[in-house]
Amino acid sequence: MVRDPTSFLPQGLSFRFVDRVLELVPGERVVALKNVTANDPHLQDHFPGHPLMPGVLLVESMAQTAGLLLPEGSSAFLAQIKEARFRAPVIPGDQLRIEAVRRGGLSDLHRFEVAALVNGTPAAEAEIVLAVVRANAGDRP
Amino acid sequence: MNEIVQRVRALLSTRLKLATAVAGITDDTPLFGPTGLGLDSIDALELVLGLEKEFGVVVEDRATAVTVLASIRTIAEHIQSQGKG
Repeated sequence: MVRDPTSFLPQGLSFRFVDRVLELVPGERVVALKNVTANDPHLQDHFPGHPLMPGVLLVESMAQTAGLLLPEGSSAFLAQIKEARFRAPVIPGDQLRIEAVRRGGLSDLHRFEVAALVNGTPAAEAEIVLAVVRANAGDRP
Repeated sequence: MNEIVQRVRALLSTRLKLATAVAGITDDTPLFGPTGLGLDSIDALELVLGLEKEFGVVVEDRATAVTVLASIRTIAEHIQSQGKG
């Protein structure tokens, strides 16, 4: 059985914002799903009685999706978020389709264009740069 | 060559949103490090992507980037040596 690609993400389950990978071309493009549900602890207080997925968590979801394009076992940090736009509220019951495409890089930095869609309509988009942490990072001064 | 230099200056100004700072440096001012413009690795990535888009020049790796992106002049010379611009 093929291992679920999201299991390669370094984040623990409580901070994982990708539910399923639909398409994955390593190093090039990935399409993933994130289901938004009312009993998500982040939504219970954001806001009481008016659950709304926080924009920063949309970005986290997009960054984690982009991270699936990095070599297996990589750890990476957010290095840059550019041109982030939030076009529509994301609420319980919505299914996010997150599409990330790699658009170049230099050394340990990788640039991605990422969009999150609900029912085919863009809810959020951003250009995201991830910095891969090298295995010997701890040895550097 | 002068035209390429002006286009490189325009690239730095627009892609890095540094119009004022770029207007105040010479073609030989170091772009990186504390003695120069103080750009960082994310700026370097932005420049590499900009050079590819604007001039068709590909900078493959960090070692090449360190040499090519040293100053406005070294960028312009690299573009010319690649037969671009």
